[in-house]
Amino acid sequence: MKCRTCGSKAVVNMRQHKLALCKEHYLEWLPQQVDRFIKKYQMFSKEDRILVAVSGGKDSLALWDILHGLGYNADGIYINLGIGTIGGYSDLSLQKVKKFSEERNLGLRVFSVIEEFNESIIDISGRTKRGMNRTCSVCGLTKRHVLNKVTRDDQYDVLVTGHNLDDEAATLFGNTLHWAGEFLLRQGPVLEANGGLVRKAKPLCRFYEKEMAAYAILKNIDYIYEECPYSTGSTSIYYKQQLNILEHHNPGEKLRFYVHFLKAKKDGLFSPLKSIQQSLHECPECGQPTSSPDLCSFCRLMSRK
Amino acid sequence: MNKESVMLRKRGVDYEVKAGMTLGSALKELDILPETVLATRQGELILEDEIIQEGELIILIDVISGG
Repeated sequence: MKCRTCGSKAVVNMRQHKLALCKEHYLEWLPQQVDRFIKKYQMFSKEDRILVAVSGGKDSLALWDILHGLGYNADGIYINLGIGTIGGYSDLSLQKVKKFSEERNLGLRVFSVIEEFNESIIDISGRTKRGMNRTCSVCGLTKRHVLNKVTRDDQYDVLVTGHNLDDEAATLFGNTLHWAGEFLLRQGPVLEANGGLVRKAKPLCRFYEKEMAAYAILKNIDYIYEECPYSTGSTSIYYKQQLNILEHHNPGEKLRFYVHFLKAKKDGLFSPLKSIQQSLHECPECGQPTSSPDLCSFCRLMSRK
Repeated sequence: MNKESVMLRKRGVDYEVKAGMTLGSALKELDILPETVLATRQGELILEDEIIQEGELIILIDVISGG
């Protein structure tokens, strides 16, 4: 297969775009396209202070690399969840994030769950009802809480995450299967700031997971390849597999699923009912916004000893 | 490994297929969706139309992550 731009040997083939590119032209094409969608969805500008949530995985590190290359003012935040033994999953991913930021001279914040809360995500999961066999649920809640707090406290204009199209399509698939109206209303490339919840953007939401992995490999980004030991058998991976079966037989299916959803939402298919509009107030414990009647979900979790 | 075969390695697990077929055919034979992996030969990315040669080792990199 030949590169459409120069005719040399292609290394990436994007069937949904009927586009194959060589290494040189793929590494040129992807950042240009990311920038195109940053502007299309009005995510942020070169004047904004951006905080990128980095896990050490391919998507977040590739995103940080692209934003840096495009000239955006982006610091990183790594949340050390305390997963695995010494030298295990969390330690290894932190090492990779540190190395990445030092090599490029990028600002990095490290938030340690164990240092701040005196226990790891696994400890919290083990002692709470929410965490019963649901480590990912506790992990997600904790990350959302910490990321909102740090973005707010340090006065960043926007929090940016490395969610790719496969992540977004899998989330959409789950929310559609369960007709989760509130979540469908809130899903999109940008989530505007609302009553203490910071502005969030997903610059990779139009790019396949395979494309992001190819970018990371071609750019020699040293990312953590090992999966989180608690993600085995997760619903999101199962949904991704199902969507990839559809994609295999009908190239572009994942992209259309997501893009047509965004258009349908814009056209008013999901007009918000009053009953599912969020009413936020400050959590009396941590001061972060919550729609719960009293303590926020995170403080309720932490108060259950 | 048989001299006329090709080894494909994915997350430390080895799969053997006949040499001379395309990577796409090999993935189909192994029931691996091409959407879920990248393939490298000596560190270089290769596409599904590539003929895989006898004695080669092809590394398959999982691209799907989640949690």
